[in-house]
Amino acid sequence: MTAIDFEQLVQPHRVHRRLYTDPEIFGLEMTQVFAASWCYVGHESEIPEPGDYRTTTLGLRPVLMTRGRDGGINVLLNRCAHRGTVVAGEERGCAKRFVCPYHGWTYSPDGSLVAIPFPADHPAKDYSTLSLGRLATANYRGFVFATLNADPEPLECWLGEAQEALDTIIDRHPGGQIAVMGSPQLLEFAGNWKLSWDNAADGLHATFAHHSYNTLGETVEVETVLARDPGSTPMLSKALRNGHMVVDQRPGIPQGPWATMRDVPFREPLESTLAEAGATELLDLATGSMLNLSLFPNLIFVGNQLLVVEPVAVDRTRLQLWLTSAPGAPPEIDLLRLRVDEDFVNFGTPDDLDMFERVQRGLSIPEMEWIDMSRGLPDDSTADGTVYGPITSEAPQRRYLAHYAELMTTPAKTRAL
Amino acid sequence: MTVAAAIPPEGPSAAASSDQAAVLARYDELGELLAGMDDRPAADPELWGPASAALLHEARLLDAGRFEDWLGGWTDDAVLWVPLSTPAHPGSDQSLLLDDRRRLAERVEWRRDPSAWGQQPPSNTTRIVGSVEAWPAPRGLVTRSTLLIDEHRHGRQQQLTAFQIHELVGDDLRRRTKILVVPALGTGVRNPSFLL
Repeated sequence: MTAIDFEQLVQPHRVHRRLYTDPEIFGLEMTQVFAASWCYVGHESEIPEPGDYRTTTLGLRPVLMTRGRDGGINVLLNRCAHRGTVVAGEERGCAKRFVCPYHGWTYSPDGSLVAIPFPADHPAKDYSTLSLGRLATANYRGFVFATLNADPEPLECWLGEAQEALDTIIDRHPGGQIAVMGSPQLLEFAGNWKLSWDNAADGLHATFAHHSYNTLGETVEVETVLARDPGSTPMLSKALRNGHMVVDQRPGIPQGPWATMRDVPFREPLESTLAEAGATELLDLATGSMLNLSLFPNLIFVGNQLLVVEPVAVDRTRLQLWLTSAPGAPPEIDLLRLRVDEDFVNFGTPDDLDMFERVQRGLSIPEMEWIDMSRGLPDDSTADGTVYGPITSEAPQRRYLAHYAELMTTPAKTRAL
Repeated sequence: MTVAAAIPPEGPSAAASSDQAAVLARYDELGELLAGMDDRPAADPELWGPASAALLHEARLLDAGRFEDWLGGWTDDAVLWVPLSTPAHPGSDQSLLLDDRRRLAERVEWRRDPSAWGQQPPSNTTRIVGSVEAWPAPRGLVTRSTLLIDEHRHGRQQQLTAFQIHELVGDDLRRRTKILVVPALGTGVRNPSFLL
């Protein structure tokens, strides 16, 4: 293993700047955290037909999510077994077969090697050892997760108490139907990936970092982003096992999610159509669940978007923001969602991006080593390991980093199936 | 009442209002304007001069931070649309933004807010407009032009290329529609909040 002392770097009340600035630690994370944990890869609605595929990365590794001929979903390493060429070069598409553009090795959508050109010259007679690398894959109600861990725990165990929050988010959609729209927003920032994780369950920052959004237009008299007075709100945070986190805004918004929504383009005609049909209850579906769920290490539910955290380098991160739709709801809901979710991305997310880059710049100072994360101590955990607290508590950050330290110090065996 | 139970059997869209139809028509108009651009015939050289003047004026206002003056150059039924990729439709694909006149005004207000950290300090931009083409349209003219935006902020530089489509109406060529297509949005850009 490594000589890096994570017990020293991740303490109960503070963490060391090296976690955010050290390229060696970043390199270890790509295997210890991103390859050895379950990670979100994509949603099954993105690949509805056999042969459909989408590419992404998992711990910097190019991967490929495909729908096989049997309808099953595969997550594969996007790397030819021959010379290592990335086989699928497009972000998405539909292919009966994946033909490596370099020497023509041909794979089926389930990753099996089906043909090598001029096979008489090649000694391999059994192609089964020359498939695309395969990841352990689990599909939870349409959400596809994968891992390179050689002995992964069952996905439900990994989800733990977070499963209830995930079910709540899915079940608010009529028929439990949730889908992902085509192209994501792709936003980069010059900072470490954990900065987005520190922010995901940070109930205090909105009062300051998002002050401009909370007052923009001043058309809403209720809480917009988290709470205006985070010290007295009944909203609560939960730090769950395995680094997962929840911020439950619902207790602070008795009027329901739609009451928080500012005026957005073309809101009134779509809203009035639903009102005329007596279906104004559905308007809550047009905005988020107010249950911010973060599944460590790469999936954050915010609004109606899936925010996928994609590390690029120790000081560079790409955020993928996928908008979800509600196929079981009337079309007005998705039409509203399009304008609702771009509102915060335009007037709130830029604050976060700026803070992430400011923090990364500040953490470059070697003489200031520590990041304080002590607010809300001592943590009082329940029997199942969950820590509840006000949204000002930094318990979620402490707990995910404690889990992170555990991952970084546990020898991980990763392999392709 | 559960969400599913709240949906009338025929679905609310069966009672879609004429206002809603107008929204969908506007979305279709935007989608068609973008989709049909590559198939247009050669531009009308007579329109090149006035079109260029309007586009260069807009670029200068934005680079100078004269956002209130820029806002004044839009019609009441204005739409600024920045799709994430092409082809795209504003009613079915996620966009970076699609602003009506109200949200354009809020965007200008946001740019002036000292606590809007995404643009404080503000981006320093230089726009280079090129390849201007223009065609007559029912209420004025339609243009396509290319754009290079050089952005400096926090000591960092970002350069984005784009093409933009404008529908300019009336004698004073007010902006009714602008579609800004930035290919880099499909691969990842840093804080795009300077894009207008």
